[in-house]
Amino acid sequence: MKRVVVTGVGVVSPVGIGVERFWQALLAGESGISRVESFDTSKFPVHLGGEVRGFEPAPGDRQMGRASQFAVAAAREALTDSGLDLNAMDRSRIGVSMGTTSGEPHMVERYNDARKGGVDPDPSFFTNYPCHVIPSNVAAEFQLGGVTLMIPTACAAGNYAIGYAYDLVRTGRAGVMLAGGSDSFSRIPYTGFAKLSAIATERCQPFDKNRKGMVPGEGSAMLVLQPLDSVRPGTTIYAEILSYGVSCDAHHMTAAHPDGDGAIRAMAMAMKSAGIGTDDIDYISAHGTGTKANDRIESIALHAMFGARAPKVPMSSIKSMLGHTMGAASAIEAVACSLAVQTGWVPPTINFEEPDPECEVDCVPNHARKIDPKIVLNNAYAFGGNNASLCVRRYEG
Amino acid sequence: MSGRVVYTGAGVITSIGAGVEEFEEALYSGNCGIAPSARFNGAAAGEIVDFTPVPWLGNKGIRVLDRAARLLCVAAQMSLTAAGRPADPAGEGDPESGLVCGTMFGGLHSIATFDHTGVTEGPSQVNPADFPNTVINSPTGHAGIKFKLRGVNSTICAGFASGLQAISYAADFVRFERAKWVLAGGLEELCEESSEGFQRTGLASPDGTVRPFGRDRNGTVPGEGAALWLLELEETARERGATPLGEVRGFGAAHDAASLHGLHASGAGAASAMRQAIASAGLTPADIACIFASANGSRLADEIEARAINEVFGPGAPPVCAPKAAWGEAMGAAGGLAAVAAGVALQRQMLPPTAGFAASDSGLKLSAQPQPISGDHALINSIGCDGANVSLLISLWREV
Repeated sequence: MKRVVVTGVGVVSPVGIGVERFWQALLAGESGISRVESFDTSKFPVHLGGEVRGFEPAPGDRQMGRASQFAVAAAREALTDSGLDLNAMDRSRIGVSMGTTSGEPHMVERYNDARKGGVDPDPSFFTNYPCHVIPSNVAAEFQLGGVTLMIPTACAAGNYAIGYAYDLVRTGRAGVMLAGGSDSFSRIPYTGFAKLSAIATERCQPFDKNRKGMVPGEGSAMLVLQPLDSVRPGTTIYAEILSYGVSCDAHHMTAAHPDGDGAIRAMAMAMKSAGIGTDDIDYISAHGTGTKANDRIESIALHAMFGARAPKVPMSSIKSMLGHTMGAASAIEAVACSLAVQTGWVPPTINFEEPDPECEVDCVPNHARKIDPKIVLNNAYAFGGNNASLCVRRYEG
Repeated sequence: MSGRVVYTGAGVITSIGAGVEEFEEALYSGNCGIAPSARFNGAAAGEIVDFTPVPWLGNKGIRVLDRAARLLCVAAQMSLTAAGRPADPAGEGDPESGLVCGTMFGGLHSIATFDHTGVTEGPSQVNPADFPNTVINSPTGHAGIKFKLRGVNSTICAGFASGLQAISYAADFVRFERAKWVLAGGLEELCEESSEGFQRTGLASPDGTVRPFGRDRNGTVPGEGAALWLLELEETARERGATPLGEVRGFGAAHDAASLHGLHASGAGAASAMRQAIASAGLTPADIACIFASANGSRLADEIEARAINEVFGPGAPPVCAPKAAWGEAMGAAGGLAAVAAGVALQRQMLPPTAGFAASDSGLKLSAQPQPISGDHALINSIGCDGANVSLLISLWREV
């Protein structure tokens, strides 16, 4: 089996477009959450969203859905960053593995707007809606011919997609993989989360005693995964992918298992595959949506897994700044984890004021911290009871 | 550990039959499940008419499942029973069991209906119980809960190639011992939204007839169904006294990047996927006993596939069955349905006919009648209309 490293990263996010801006904002604790502008929320009881502002698709990308536009932009940044010379490579061995929650939901919105207005929906709905079109658009943009697929395991999808890409690279079945996730801001999940009263009214406060919910967001992140033995001298290696673990609560479509069963098993599988124990984990990127139940159960899982050390393991949620970018979330968080092991800094959980006795965690409150983490865990949980943990290590040769 | 991934049971539901036995009978009789659909203004469809999951699932707990989730749960129930791992609703479930489902549209109808209610009646009027059905992985999630499959629970989308891609993904989970046993295959429901898409993008045959590789082919017809194999390592099967039916041996995928909106006329990707699948099994084209083609009656796609098969196999190409003649283009379910059919063909050493066989200009040995085959290995193709080319190689189970 080959060792798999991250040599390029790209991000489109509510706190900024481009990795440099994104990382500066995270370490400064900036919020990308504000009043929704992309659709009228006057009929909703809530109005906050983590929207990407100022994004201009490349001229050739205007026909695509917004999630595809994000993905292509993030992929372009990641490929450029990696320094790979595609013209000198066998593009048939480069694939694209992505995750999403909603795919291209704007296509469904337009379809229904047309029906509501009594006009025939644009037939491009059929060709632009299916979610595999997002990685296909990335593959087409860069003329890549390897395995190209979408793994839409809802809000844990980014980790699933990176995990599968890691498998393809370590087994030598792909030469290089572009892996990540993308989701666009849509009234469809917004309607659902609003109806469940899950959306916060003022801000996103993961792990705070007075947290009032999550905030839907959008964005994309793409990572270039390649075998270590193919990395050319002078290339920046952000991190090494060590392993991943997945599980299903098989308990409830929208509520996590009350004991954190699946979350625990996903972490355990990732650590077992990596041949490490809980003492080796220096930082956790939390799922940390900011809802009462999710943060509490995530804390239960952490304590079950880490025992007495649980309150001492730094575990922050960047969703406090970005909102919940859905299927893109764990991909964006995987970029944050890669930058954490590379730079030594971990981003904070902002808006933290009052500790919750039910969430006894070190959420890195309000200020970034330099802890030089060596091994980090990226946790993601989703509708359908899906759980995925990705294990990332600092590259030290 | 041998690393050999076998299938020990199958569940299948399509317009031509439900359950492997009925499906097999209809397939070998050359039955066609395509007819004008009352649900879609008379448009031709490979529809499961009057579908009800009750005979397999009973009444309990099915109200929350949409049509897509019901189809998947029916296939899962059948596959579990066939493999001798019956569902245990009262039990804890197996943390080492999983489900990997390929689909193209998931529960599109549930998504569109939820949004339609939101925009016409207002966002406060939606039923919160419908919201979970708006995520693309909803059918897989529901089936995971229903059958307490507590390990991997992945949905795989690669257009028409989703089902084969899902089987390959699931086989990896078993091979790498991340799961002990996994239900794997594909699912697609027919709904007004996707049916309309077929009509309005020019994919649909004007006379509602699928003529794979046919000289007079003029398009395809949408179909639906679900098909799942139960995959496990051969040691796992042996330990519990189960007999493998066959083995998942090889896989190939190639994306025709130039072809997102129209096929790559060279067929280079299709040929590459077949070659990879054969080579990854350590075989040569001469070892292949039969091919289950992706051909769905489309002018260009069928031409490309025929050219690719001829290129890979030359004049000695094995006989070909194009099963979509029977159930139409079943999209995400297509790969699972073809895989189950190919498994049956290897066991019987008999290739099923291509339903309604039409005169072909492909140069392929297309099966007009059931015909004997000789050999252990079948190649299954899925070619998408957007660049995806996937091939799977399966083999009859042999001890050695």
